[in-house]
Amino acid sequence: MGNTSTMVEPATPAGQGSNHTLISLRGVSKWYDTPSGRFGALKDVALDVRRRDCVAVVGKSGSGKTTLINVITGIDSPSSGRVQVAGAAVHSMSQEQLAVWRGRNVGVIFQFFQLLPTLTVAENVMLPMDFCGTYDSSERRPRALALLDRLGIADQAGKLPADLSGGQQQRAAIARALANDPPILVADEPTGNLDSRTADDVMSLFARLAREGKTVLMATHERDVSRFFTRTITLVDGVVQAPFFAGVKSC
Amino acid sequence: MLSPRWKKLLGDLRSAASRFAMMAAAIAVSTAAVGAILSSYAILTREVSRNYLGTNPASAQLEFSAADDSLVRKILTRPGIADAEAGSTVLARIEVAPSQWLPLMLFVVPGFDRLRINAFRPESGAWPPPEGSLLIERTALPLTRTQVSKPISVQTSNGQKRSLSISGLVHDPGLAPAWQEQTVYGYLTPATLRALGESGDLHLVKIVVRDNAGSLRAIEDTARRLATWLGEQGWPVEEIRIPPPRMHPHQSQMMAILVMLLIFSLLALVLGAILAATIISGFLAQQVRQIAIMKAIGARSRQIAFLYAGLIAALGAASVALGLPLGLAAGRGFSSLAARLLNLNIYSYSVPWWVWAADLLLGVAVPLGVALVPILGAVRRTIRDAINDYGVDKQSVGASMIDRLLARFRNPDPALSMAVRNTFRRRARLALTLALLATAGAMFITSLNLKAAWEKNLADARADRHYQVEVRLENAVPESKAAALVGAIPGVERVESWNILPAAVDSPGHFTIVRTYPDGGHGSFTLRSAPPQTDFIAHRVQEGRWLRPGDTDAVVLNHMALALLPNVKVGDVISLIVEQRLVQVRVVGILREMLTPAAAYATPEGFAIAAGQAGLTNAVRVALKDARAVDSVSRSIEQALARERVAVKVSITESRFDEAQTGHVYILVFALIFMALVMAVVGSLGLASAMSAGVVERTREFGVMRAIGATSRVVLRNVVSEGVFTGLLSWLIAIPLSLPLSTQVGNLVGSLSFRVPLPLFLSPGALGIWLLVVLAVSAVASAFPAQRAARLTIRETLAYV
Repeated sequence: MGNTSTMVEPATPAGQGSNHTLISLRGVSKWYDTPSGRFGALKDVALDVRRRDCVAVVGKSGSGKTTLINVITGIDSPSSGRVQVAGAAVHSMSQEQLAVWRGRNVGVIFQFFQLLPTLTVAENVMLPMDFCGTYDSSERRPRALALLDRLGIADQAGKLPADLSGGQQQRAAIARALANDPPILVADEPTGNLDSRTADDVMSLFARLAREGKTVLMATHERDVSRFFTRTITLVDGVVQAPFFAGVKSC
Repeated sequence: MLSPRWKKLLGDLRSAASRFAMMAAAIAVSTAAVGAILSSYAILTREVSRNYLGTNPASAQLEFSAADDSLVRKILTRPGIADAEAGSTVLARIEVAPSQWLPLMLFVVPGFDRLRINAFRPESGAWPPPEGSLLIERTALPLTRTQVSKPISVQTSNGQKRSLSISGLVHDPGLAPAWQEQTVYGYLTPATLRALGESGDLHLVKIVVRDNAGSLRAIEDTARRLATWLGEQGWPVEEIRIPPPRMHPHQSQMMAILVMLLIFSLLALVLGAILAATIISGFLAQQVRQIAIMKAIGARSRQIAFLYAGLIAALGAASVALGLPLGLAAGRGFSSLAARLLNLNIYSYSVPWWVWAADLLLGVAVPLGVALVPILGAVRRTIRDAINDYGVDKQSVGASMIDRLLARFRNPDPALSMAVRNTFRRRARLALTLALLATAGAMFITSLNLKAAWEKNLADARADRHYQVEVRLENAVPESKAAALVGAIPGVERVESWNILPAAVDSPGHFTIVRTYPDGGHGSFTLRSAPPQTDFIAHRVQEGRWLRPGDTDAVVLNHMALALLPNVKVGDVISLIVEQRLVQVRVVGILREMLTPAAAYATPEGFAIAAGQAGLTNAVRVALKDARAVDSVSRSIEQALARERVAVKVSITESRFDEAQTGHVYILVFALIFMALVMAVVGSLGLASAMSAGVVERTREFGVMRAIGATSRVVLRNVVSEGVFTGLLSWLIAIPLSLPLSTQVGNLVGSLSFRVPLPLFLSPGALGIWLLVVLAVSAVASAFPAQRAARLTIRETLAYV
């Protein structure tokens, strides 16, 4: 099973996604050397994700979800294979190139929100614009406030993250991910730290963003989320299982 | 308006305010130390020049049997002579209390208003001094135990005790302070000197050479050519005195101290920088995830590195802003103290721009340079690696040999075992902390070692003298007479003859060329007779041997004399000029004699041959039955000699010798203690910050400990034990580290100031004091973060990420 190449979508030749393909992985493997031996987190993964897809990556703990997300966002590099995202060969970029590329093309959302604790919510949202030099400096705050408003937490803009509830913090993190208007949103267990009602709200939010034109890729350990996604990719021991197309309910 | 990234940094700064305050304090303390030393150096070198060179110091003094204006006019016609002036010095005595005398060096000035060479300035009172009065150097007034306009008793070699009044004070920057030399300096006219029973003739011509006035060789060549020519003209030169050109008598000692202080203060700055690196690395350890998040949302490594480097640079600049004014104030204070010790006037305390620039550069660049290592290390980590960093990683414990060794350390108190093992968890930081504390400790111990070595030198010098009084006579008298006169005085145990005559190393033309300053003391070289079997001095023979009975052409040089004859070895034959006679002697040994002017010792027979006189003595050393009676017996000796009309030139007692020696090393001791304190402060701040970083990182662990039943007291004890253990380790490292440091600094300071390396002396007190300091500091430094950890609730600690 570990050496089986798996395709979840009819794939175009490696690295040359069709006009609709925004994320393309070919023969991607990731190995870690551990005290107990070599561990394969991803094994020969091939994957295409189209523009405006709303994709859930599901699997048990240790199945390779986070590694897949990290490889796609350039947070981690594959041991072998090619990763093409938004026209960029992510697998061959330097850390510096990745930083600039990621800031403009991918919005990353983490399980523990990871807002910077010493900045207010609005300042957290302004930070990617500041680093990437997008938008005029006079436009950044109004844009941050508009994003927060869109996510329903405009009234929390001046507060520090510690003063917000978990759900509000995750909304702020999503607003930050949207700051540079990236085409892709990638989230790693964004509801893992939320109660079920808030988790549903956040899931709905992602679905809405996909409808509005974003491509969403989300790692989650919850299986009962298919109603929010156009596709679900299941990972077992680093190998992508047969494709499962959910009924399009929300996306 | 500040951009979010800088706002974030300010927020971070606030969140770790206490640690950054420690870092700023450490850099401020070290930049203050560097600023103090650099500004002292700048002020003192400038003011020494302004004062000493302002006297227009003579390049050389030529001694004649008599000198007058016609001789001066002749000299002025010679090529290479810029200026010449006649003068005279006479060694007399001043009675500072009934039958208590001090040496009085009289400078005879024919024209006070025409004084151009070795000039001094009026401070108060009359100028020029009226006949029957004299002016006193301002530092000498306290020694006279009287006041301006009051009478004093003076006696010259040819005269009776006479009364003179002090008509005013002068400042003579060319002389070391009178209290250091235990000699009173007076200035009078030839007429007043005649009234004291002396001839009033002048016998010196001071000359200033035209070219290469800073070159000893050039001065010597010019003086020798002049002396040759004058000899041909019927003006034989008896002696040529050439002091080190353009150098105050105590300048080399002062510079040695400044160089030593500079080394220490730069090391303090390096310590401050290490501390900055320790703090920034601890701070970055907390920031790794935030750095990863920033990179995940688009920040480049360069941008993040610039942020943190900017923070360090800003802190460095703020520290300099705090430390430099303190340093400049301390520099002024130190310069003022040094000026008193050098008898200088500070005309300006202004500090040149390069001191500001150097301090700013050092205060900003050094911490920045050192902090770049952890900064670059942190920003270069991959996002995945950084985001998975949980501070102290449980996986990291147990893997290495050290961990396994530590695991064997078992103690009934698990908290103590844990403290010992925790010490080694962050080894890079532990290494930095130990480097910081151990270096501080080594420097602290070194400074006290040097102080102890100096004091030991003084004590050794004192212990080496087994006599209490030395009486030098104006004229030689039969040895038997002197011995009988002095030996009969109650309280005297033994008397030995220790003749003394000025000597010079022979030079081309057989001129007597000496290195003596105008005060007659600094740079002097004498030939002395010493009984071979004497036990009046301890024979610390460095090389060769001490004198033996029957040695007639042998001399033993002390190390100061060796400095005048740097190429001479034991076994060499050297030519000396004594009483204008050329004498060839063989060097049989080198004697180490601390704080004693250059001297060559010969047997009484050898001395008699060299001096052309036998059975006479002009100096005796006296051992007393009770050393405490030195002052009263000394007075009795002088009175007995006076009754027999034996004129005393100077009487040197043990207490006066001690005062003079202590005066010379006072500033060194002060400087060393100052540096030791700076070291202690910087080292303490280092440990405090390292402990604080360690506690912050392990906040979750403390939560776990408390959740399973540890009380706040247990947490507190755990952290404090770790701090104390770290302090103890640093102490153990500091001891061997202080050995080479003490040796090197001792070599430098000793050689520069007194021509002999300071011996390596381990001060047990220093080890003990630093152990106490480091333990106390460790306990206090770790108590603060420990209290913080102990106060956190379990919920807070477990929520910490």
